[in-house]
Amino acid sequence: MQVMRRMRPWACAIAATAAGASACAAAPLTDEPTLGTMFRMFTDSDKVGVRSMTSDFALPMPGSTTLAVHFNNERVVIPAVAAPAGTQEAVDAITTASRPISGNAFEDFIKVRNEVTTTLTRGPASVEYYVSSESDYLAQQLGGKWSRDFRDQTMTVSFASSYGWDRIQPLADDDTDTGARSKTTWHGNVIGTGVLSPSTLLRVGAEVNLVHGLQHNAYRNVYAGGSNVSERHPEDRQRRDAFVRLHQYFSQRSSLKLSYRLYNDDWGISSHELESRLSQYLKQGLSSRYVYRWYTQTAADFYRDEYASVDGIDGYRSGDYRMDELSSHLFGVALHADLDALAVPSPWMRRFALWLSYERYFNRNNYSANILETGLDFRFQ
Amino acid sequence: MSPRSRTQGRRALILALPLLWLLGASGCAVQAYQRERLVDRIMAFEADSRENARKLKAWEAREGSTGGVGGDGGGCACK
Repeated sequence: MQVMRRMRPWACAIAATAAGASACAAAPLTDEPTLGTMFRMFTDSDKVGVRSMTSDFALPMPGSTTLAVHFNNERVVIPAVAAPAGTQEAVDAITTASRPISGNAFEDFIKVRNEVTTTLTRGPASVEYYVSSESDYLAQQLGGKWSRDFRDQTMTVSFASSYGWDRIQPLADDDTDTGARSKTTWHGNVIGTGVLSPSTLLRVGAEVNLVHGLQHNAYRNVYAGGSNVSERHPEDRQRRDAFVRLHQYFSQRSSLKLSYRLYNDDWGISSHELESRLSQYLKQGLSSRYVYRWYTQTAADFYRDEYASVDGIDGYRSGDYRMDELSSHLFGVALHADLDALAVPSPWMRRFALWLSYERYFNRNNYSANILETGLDFRFQ
Repeated sequence: MSPRSRTQGRRALILALPLLWLLGASGCAVQAYQRERLVDRIMAFEADSRENARKLKAWEAREGSTGGVGGDGGGCACK
């Protein structure tokens, strides 16, 4: 309810903005209303658990307009710290997830997050508002996108930009004293998509993010110069990446999707990401998919395993392993069933599509995670 | 910006320019009736968009980088 109250003025603003968007003769993105739901379970080797329930609703409207609403409710359980609050063992939140250590640190910390995204698309333009609320964090973002087709609709170029503003209000914590803070993010991208052949698609893009404000864990301490001091990262960060995606269809009703992303930022982190997705129809309406992802990155300039001085490196110090050198692997398998294509007897059941996915992730910091997703999509007509 | 960051930025530019050229120079011969495979669920970019958005959040929580999931198919039957 808190989220919905905060959304009302923004929903009105989006509607007003969209009303002024330019008209276009292009067809709506969807021809009929659709409703999709998904249940997701995430557990990792640090015993952090995340349960997500999402719903996606798309409603075509007159005038080549489509309204899409996405809702996500997450329940995050961060395990107890196995040491009394304030002791050396408990100086860190022990995971990358945020939890304060206050009072009884032997109890699990449970956090609930609600997220709503509203997107209004009219012809080649769309506007989007995003809000996410949890007990110590409120994030909002307003964005817009415009695209144009060329060469008999064999190539599309899109431009998108967004501005996000976050309010951080850390909870009571026994060993840190971060006050209310904020963070802003400006994002811009340009992306081209092309039809190379009747069975080949290519997409290339470049993105920039300019971030300002609190960018470290408000609850984390770092052991530096013989004492425990609060983590501190730079307030400004310029992040940019370029990516390419190639999709190839094969004659045996299968496809291969390859992607590569190059990233770097002015904190000194550079990364490479490679992913492949192989899909295969097992029969009409039933397909399987196999995923492999490889990722590697360099460390931030100010990251050290140990800091000799409380001043860290140029005043910055980090206990966040994401700032360190890192490599990871992911393997996954998924099944998708379209009951319409499977020709189930019930006409009502034919409106459903089901999918199930399992992924195993692990990185060089002895961290691993299991990700299980189940989804259900429904067409109204 | 550090010298290493500048070097990486130049690499990104070098990577992007020829691919953009390739994109602009291709696709002329593919007619609308030849695009049936491209809108198949196992091929289309749009089919992955929700999943990619979820994964972006997951990777941001576990790794030090971001990006790579933006885009828009527009009307070229390749969403």
